[in-house]
Amino acid sequence: MLFYATTLDGLQMGLCFAVLALGVYISYSILDFPDLSVDGTFPLGGVVCTILMLKAGVPAILATALSFFAGFMAGVVTGVLHVKLKVSNLLSGIIVMTALLSVTLALTKLLTRNGQTTSIFSYRSESLDGLFGGKLFSSHGSGVKDYIVLGVLLVIVIAIKLLIDLFLKTKLGYMLKATGDNERLVVSLGKDPGMYKILGLAVANGFSAVSGALYSHLFMQYDNTSGSGKVVLALASVIIGITVFSRIRFIKDTTAVIFGAAVYSLCLNYLVLVDTNGIYLKLLNAVLFTLILVFNDRMNAVISGKTKMKRRVRR
Amino acid sequence: MIELKNIYKVFNAGTVNEMRLFNGFSFDVKAGEFVSIVGSNGSGKTTLLNIISGSIPINGGSVYLNGMDITEMSEHIRARKIGRVFQDPSVGTVPSMTILENLSLAENKGKPYSLGLAVNRRKCEMFRETVLKLGLGLEDKMDIPVGLLSGGQRQALSMIMSTMTPIDVLLLDEHTAALDPRTAETIMQLTDEIVKKNRLTVVMVTHNLRYAVEYGNRLIMMDKGQIVLHKNAEEKKETSVDDILHIFNDISIECGN
Repeated sequence: MLFYATTLDGLQMGLCFAVLALGVYISYSILDFPDLSVDGTFPLGGVVCTILMLKAGVPAILATALSFFAGFMAGVVTGVLHVKLKVSNLLSGIIVMTALLSVTLALTKLLTRNGQTTSIFSYRSESLDGLFGGKLFSSHGSGVKDYIVLGVLLVIVIAIKLLIDLFLKTKLGYMLKATGDNERLVVSLGKDPGMYKILGLAVANGFSAVSGALYSHLFMQYDNTSGSGKVVLALASVIIGITVFSRIRFIKDTTAVIFGAAVYSLCLNYLVLVDTNGIYLKLLNAVLFTLILVFNDRMNAVISGKTKMKRRVRR
Repeated sequence: MIELKNIYKVFNAGTVNEMRLFNGFSFDVKAGEFVSIVGSNGSGKTTLLNIISGSIPINGGSVYLNGMDITEMSEHIRARKIGRVFQDPSVGTVPSMTILENLSLAENKGKPYSLGLAVNRRKCEMFRETVLKLGLGLEDKMDIPVGLLSGGQRQALSMIMSTMTPIDVLLLDEHTAALDPRTAETIMQLTDEIVKKNRLTVVMVTHNLRYAVEYGNRLIMMDKGQIVLHKNAEEKKETSVDDILHIFNDISIECGN
C-alpha cells in the first residue's frame, strides 16, 4: 500500500517536473547551454503564482500560465549576462540563481499578513484552493482525487509538449536548433545567435517557473527552498529521456524527456522509502545522477562503436 | 565592390608575441571579379577574409562594400550580403538537421525567421532538383541528418546554401582543402558553375596553386601581410602553375624554410 501511494506521488511529481525538464531540454539539449538559473526560476514561478492567486484573485490556471512570464524575464537576464556581458554560461546561471534567492524571499512578504518573510506559505492558512484544491477534487474520495490530479497534470504536460514540438518546427525553432548546433551558420544566415540564446533561455526558464507553480499547487504550499537541486533533477530527467527513451522508434525527444522525468521522480520517491528521514536524499540524488551520466556515456560508446561522438539528439 | 583602405591589424598587441600583420594594407575587388589568393601559412590570407566578413576587429583602416563603409558593421549584418564557405565542411551546415531542413533554413535567409512552419512541402521538389544536379546521390537522402554525410557532400551542400539567396560577394576560405583530390575537383567545378550562373564576385583563398591558376580572373600571392605578386586577367592567362610555384619557393627560401 505504501509502495502504491509512493508510486502515485512519484508520478504526480514526475509530471510536475516534466514541465521543468522540457524547459531544460530547450536550454541544455537544443541550445547546449547548462543553465543553472532554473534553481531560482522554479520557486520564482511558485511564489508569483501564489501571489497572483492570493492578492489579485487570479484563477489558479491563469496564475500558473502567467508565472511563465516571471521565469521568462529571469531567463532574459541570464541570457543578457552571457551574451551581452560575456559572462560564462555556468556563471550567468549561478548569478541569476543567487539573485533570485533574495527576490523570492522578498516576494514572500506579500504572502504573510504581518509583512514578514516566510520560508513556507501554506495555501490552507489563507484557505486558498490552488489548482487541485477546488470542489472538483475534494468532492470525490482521496483515492479518486489522486487520479484526477494525475489526469489534469497529464493534460497540461501534453499540451506543453505539443506546443514545444510545434515551436521547434517553425523557422524560429529551427534557428534555435541551429544556434545550439552550429552558431556560425546562424551568423552566415545574417542573424545574431546571441538573440536566439536569450530567447531560448527565456522560454526554458518560463517553463521552469510554470513547473514551480504546479509544484506549489500539488503540495498546497509555497516552499522558498523548493528550488534547490532542480538543475540536477532536470538534467537527469533530460539525459535519461534522451539516452533511454529517444532510442525507441517513433518517440520524440520531448516525449522521451517526460518519461525521463517520470522515471527519475519515481526513483527519488522510492529512495525516500529507504531513507525515511530524508537525510541522505541529496546524496543519493547525486549518486543516482552520476550513475545516469556514466550509463549515458557507455551507451553512446557502444552505439558509436567506442568512438567519441557528440551527444546524439534525434528530432 | 569590396574596398579595403589602409588596414592595420596587430595580433597579441602588447605581448612578446606581438605580430603586426597588416600595416596600411589596401586591396580592392571589382564587381564580377574572381580573385584567387595564394600564400604560405601566416601570410594573412584568411585574416584578409576575416576582415572582409567582419569576423575579427581591425586596429585601423576602413572596409567598404558597394561604396558603403561597413567597418563598424557586425558580422551577421554583413553576412546578409556576403556569403562564405569554410575549410571545415561542418561549419556550413547544421549537422543534426536533415538536408531538407538545412536547405529550408538557407532559403529563408534575408526574410524574418518567424513562427511560420520552416519546411514548406511545396518547395521540397525544388530542393530535390537542386541537389539532383550535384550528382552526389543526395536526392534520396533528403531526410537524413547532414552530420551523417561525407565531407564532400556536406561541402557541396554548404556551397549551395551560401549562394541560395542573392549575395554580393562570396568568400571561399580554402574550401577544398579538407577534401580528397577527386571530391575537391568536383566541388571546384561546382563552385565555378555557381559563380558563373549567379555572376558572383569571389575572393578565394587556396593552397592549391593549380586551382588558383585555372579558376578566376585575378591572382594574388601574399606574404607577411603584403601582396607580393599580382596578375590580372590577361597576365594570368599566360601564367602556369610552375611559374607560381617558382615564386612561391623563392619566398619560402627567403624566409629560411
